[in-house]
Amino acid sequence: MASFNARITMPAEARAGEIVEVRVLVRHPMDRGGQVDAGGATVPRKILNRLTVTYAGEPVFRYDMHTGVSANPFVSFTTRAVETGDLIFEWREDGGATYTRTARLVVT
Amino acid sequence: MSAAGRAFAAALLALAGTAGAGEIKSGSAFLSPQMQRQQADQARNPGWLWVEQGEELFSRREGDAPGCISCHADPGRSLRGAAARYPQIDAASGKLINLEGRIEQCRAVRQKRPALGHESQELLGLAAYVASLSQGVPVSVSAEGAAKPYYEAGKAFYERRQGQLNLACTQCHDGLVGRKLRGDTISHGVGTGYPAYRLEWNGLGSLHRRLRACSLGVRATQFDYGSDDYLALELYLAVRARGLPVEAPGLRR
Repeated sequence: MASFNARITMPAEARAGEIVEVRVLVRHPMDRGGQVDAGGATVPRKILNRLTVTYAGEPVFRYDMHTGVSANPFVSFTTRAVETGDLIFEWREDGGATYTRTARLVVT
Repeated sequence: MSAAGRAFAAALLALAGTAGAGEIKSGSAFLSPQMQRQQADQARNPGWLWVEQGEELFSRREGDAPGCISCHADPGRSLRGAAARYPQIDAASGKLINLEGRIEQCRAVRQKRPALGHESQELLGLAAYVASLSQGVPVSVSAEGAAKPYYEAGKAFYERRQGQLNLACTQCHDGLVGRKLRGDTISHGVGTGYPAYRLEWNGLGSLHRRLRACSLGVRATQFDYGSDDYLALELYLAVRARGLPVEAPGLRR
């Protein structure tokens, strides 16, 4: 698989109570599987099936993905700035692998 | 046709040629406003995922070989505008070389590392990164001296009918620009957005991959990645695109 990388775009700081937009672009082939490989075996599905985001320990966003989601999926969501803390992004891949990225939001 | 008639037709053709050359537009000019905005938005244009990979590879050192960054320090300044001058003649071999070819050559000769291979994600990443450093810089390739035969060959390729459909590039990319071909709008066929993220590919691809798709489309011979035929055509397209800004990583349909 090509290297996993994620581009997380959000403001570095925000005022308390402000709505911040978080945009997430991630590199993944999102292979729906089902093809027959050279050996005659069926290629298993391998997609990112869930993205969860926690902010200062609280879950703020969850996105369940299915085979209709394109390769290199992009998603954006908003959340309210409450306190300075980390947004932790975790993708779960078919087969059990997980990828985690962290972005810090400073609340003034 | 009489000699006078032939001369008149030639004059008309020349006129059409000059009129068209003044208004060559980038491929992105034919995209929907939504896609144009997505291309410009680094948070949403997936091509930047490859640029990021390329930037990482650029500063990485493998074994005791020097990294790209060892020679090209401060690439944001030192390599700004470099991609806009490709394809160009390689001084050592006297042959035409494009950006991907230069990266592979640097790897083989200076870093003594095995080639990455055409369309490998690593080579696409490096090419996209180096090209992205030239974003907004007008294309300024040279078609003089040793490059002239390549330019002539590229021009002949562009104007030659080929394939089972017996079509020349110029028939669509000069004659039918703005009209529809299947689901897409015909552009002037300049490569300023490449390496580009094509929705059809679900990934980044080189200009030569795009040219192979064109060749397949007219049921003509598909040449190899990095072949002289496509390099010459790439030079001709770059001359056509002179003055247009580099857009890589572009977003195309």
